[in-house]
Amino acid sequence: MFLEQRARALAVHAVLIAYSALALGPILLVVMNSFKSRNAIFGSPLSPPDSSTFSLIGYAKVFRASHIVVYFENSLIVTLVSMGLVLLFGAMAAWALSEYRFRGSTAVALFLSIGIMVPIRLGSVAILNMMRTAGLNDTLTALILVYIAQGLPMAIFILSEFIQQIPMDLRDAARCDGVPETRIFFEVIAPLLRPAIATVAVFTIVPIWNDLWFPLILTSSDSTHTITLGVQQFLGQYITDWNSVLAALSMAILPVVVIYVVFSRQLIAGLTSGAVK
Amino acid sequence: MSNLRVEHLGKSYGSSNVLTDINLSVENGEFIVLVGPSGCGKSTLLRMIAGLDGVTTGDIYIGDRLVNGLAPAERRIAMVFQSYALYPHMDVRKNMTFGLKFTGVAPAERQRRVDEAARMLRLEPLLGRYPRDLSGGQRQRVAIGRAIVREPDVFLFDEPLSNLDAALRVSTRVEIARLHRLLGATMVYVTHDQTEAMTLADRIVVMSEGRIEQIGKALDLYYAPANLFVAGFIGSPAMNFFSGSVEAVDGGTARVFGVGFEPLALPAGPLDRGAKVTIGVRPEHLRIAGQGPFATSGVVELVERLGESSFAHVRRVDDKMLVVEVRGRETPAVSENVAFRAPLQDIHVFDASGQRVPINGSH
Amino acid sequence: MAEPVPQVVAQMPKAKLIGLLALFLGPSVVIYTAFSIYPLLATMQLSTFTGESGGGVHFVGLANFVTLLTDSLWSTPFWNALKNNMIFFAIHMAVQNPIGIALAGLLSLPGLKLKSFYRTVFFLPTMLSVVIVGFSWNLILSPLWGVAKGALTAVGLGSWFAPWLGLESTALVTLALMSVWQFVGIPMMLIYAALLNIPDELVDAARVDGLGQLRIFFHIKLPLVLPTIGLVSVLTFVGNFNAFDLIYSVKGALAGPNFASDILGTFFYRTFFGNQLQLGNPTMGAAVATVMFFIILIGVCVYLFVVQRRMRRYTF
Repeated sequence: MFLEQRARALAVHAVLIAYSALALGPILLVVMNSFKSRNAIFGSPLSPPDSSTFSLIGYAKVFRASHIVVYFENSLIVTLVSMGLVLLFGAMAAWALSEYRFRGSTAVALFLSIGIMVPIRLGSVAILNMMRTAGLNDTLTALILVYIAQGLPMAIFILSEFIQQIPMDLRDAARCDGVPETRIFFEVIAPLLRPAIATVAVFTIVPIWNDLWFPLILTSSDSTHTITLGVQQFLGQYITDWNSVLAALSMAILPVVVIYVVFSRQLIAGLTSGAVK
Repeated sequence: MSNLRVEHLGKSYGSSNVLTDINLSVENGEFIVLVGPSGCGKSTLLRMIAGLDGVTTGDIYIGDRLVNGLAPAERRIAMVFQSYALYPHMDVRKNMTFGLKFTGVAPAERQRRVDEAARMLRLEPLLGRYPRDLSGGQRQRVAIGRAIVREPDVFLFDEPLSNLDAALRVSTRVEIARLHRLLGATMVYVTHDQTEAMTLADRIVVMSEGRIEQIGKALDLYYAPANLFVAGFIGSPAMNFFSGSVEAVDGGTARVFGVGFEPLALPAGPLDRGAKVTIGVRPEHLRIAGQGPFATSGVVELVERLGESSFAHVRRVDDKMLVVEVRGRETPAVSENVAFRAPLQDIHVFDASGQRVPINGSH
Repeated sequence: MAEPVPQVVAQMPKAKLIGLLALFLGPSVVIYTAFSIYPLLATMQLSTFTGESGGGVHFVGLANFVTLLTDSLWSTPFWNALKNNMIFFAIHMAVQNPIGIALAGLLSLPGLKLKSFYRTVFFLPTMLSVVIVGFSWNLILSPLWGVAKGALTAVGLGSWFAPWLGLESTALVTLALMSVWQFVGIPMMLIYAALLNIPDELVDAARVDGLGQLRIFFHIKLPLVLPTIGLVSVLTFVGNFNAFDLIYSVKGALAGPNFASDILGTFFYRTFFGNQLQLGNPTMGAAVATVMFFIILIGVCVYLFVVQRRMRRYTF
């Protein structure tokens, strides 16, 4: 029985390692080759860069020919502000829906949850018109507003489920003490929501950072491009310049990977806990 | 039905030892209870017998067949779990017959076994229901039924009553005892509750920290516990313990001195002068106006009145608590200073290593 | 479901309650309605108009839809895009979900070492932007670089290689597989979480009943996570019919070769914004968006009323 168990365990690991290679392979390939000279990229694509093949020529070009730093800043601003406001407005809404219930509460909750399933992109025609009319065309604000609208339904759903689990003794004690309602929310309830932030973050940050559609539609000038759009256009422009292309891709990959690895435990815990609906 | 033998069984995870040198022999048709505090290894032992956990050292024989390398289904065992472990997506009938399908039992035979088990456990009206529609007691009966239809050589129970409320626990306990008589089956039962152990078992195995402390019939454990642990574990409320030492041995009589009791004269037995001992007396053997060589006293702090018997919690001279059972309506008053005595036959003596010291006149 | 309304809230003066609701619910409802619901409704309304050469619009009812579905100028690419979207979805269901289930099943095996390593690695592609994924695979599969060809030759399958992304017959499937590669992490995680929920004692009982690990997976674990698989399926459906980024970043708005990789998302983009072959047509674009909305709505309704009804969510 033990030999059988050992063999079975090996087989399982073999499958998992094979898939790991499939999952990591392409990424490693791209990043590895971004540090090589053009000849080495084509000559020996599968080997890592060594002293003779190491080259940063691609990276230099990316920095020179594009405003990658600006794109990165834009993405950072849009993502962080959207995330922050989604959390704030979402938590307030989830709290109001569970605490200050009124006759139409369930209807409002249902109304807000429609957004989880129905994609906001379909209304792009009208969104663009609205932004133009409001003079917000080609601004980061437009992106932020759209992303907040996009992220709220899921955030409210996750936070509502979370609020159900909070023991309400603290709230009752605060009420007995005569603490005003707004303070109860911001100082008693909000800190208790901290574990849910990881879950909300996973579902909010990644789609915003990686989104191509809205930056494509709502931003026209180079200075408002996000990193995803910027990289995409750079790639389209320099498609034959392999060094630069690989460098641009790597620069887009690495920050995400680093953050992911650092926060992977929280992210995955957030995903698995939020998924247990 | 068959017997069960465990020889020099040990289990460790990495460097931590969970079970050490377990030796146990269960007769065909015997009801054995493994009892002990949390973490003593009783569940691990049960799981190893079942084949759910592997053996590190030692051997397990079921029906004289070495089963170490066999999967659970091949060992001809059946198990009843603490949480019932019923398949939520199958009805009661399917739950009971599911496993039989994979051990090659024909449909007609499966039907027959289910009907018979259902009759035995009064499950007939529930056969089409799903676990979520059943009460805790009903679910537990279904879990037992699932074990019965396997017609195993050994039944294994893993704390099956822990999730039931008090009243259900009593009735299901009776149910299990009845089943044992009816089926004449070999049963190994794990519990942390010594009342269950005392009432259900033919023999009890008391375990602590991965070792067997004592195996014996209920009353043997009660009247002749082999060591301090068993003495303190069996019997509720627990035995009262007093530390002392043998000051003098004089012609077959030992004089034991200690804080909390008056100097005690005991048949010396194997005791030497200077030996450290622990004296044990059960709450039910101390009497207020009693007879006997053992004498202690203290201030009553609390009296728990339970009807015919009450328990007085008394603060001893050595500041520890003494528990005494008092029968009848007359109970001592709080803050009263009361004296108690116990006869020689009810005194237990344990040596410095905690082992029982047999002295003449005691069992 | 929840406890009754707290006493303090029930006895609050109406004005105060309204004020609190405005403060707490207001921002969310306003932004959501303004940028999610209203645009959708406005788009649907726009789809019933048609543009005039002077720049205005006039009402034409359902004429746009008729044109879209029947006038060959529009209907051919529309039905082509719809067909491609179905294929795209079918490949996801056939490849992404089984792989996700299998990986989740393997990861949930008791006593598996390196669990968190595998979890982290498998979910990594999902974190990447679609642009990165699209382009990286484009390079890898490119006959110019030869990495893919070399890898296949190494295992003796060199003759299999073809410039898949460039061929009409294989472009869509290749893109679908790239998308699967990226997104398999999501069903994997959701199903893994559901599998974790299954109590160990249930698995033990199945072992005692005589089931091996494989049988336990198919007879016990899988039925109990069916609701999650249903959820994953509907999320895949919505995601696929919303897909655009991948095709656009690999193939551009024209979704070549020869519209072989055109799906509803790219068709919508092209219709609305135009490209080198045609002028942008907002009203027809709105019509396409409306059709997409109804397709997604039908899918979600099927899930809510048929799938979810049938599937029982088991609590332990």
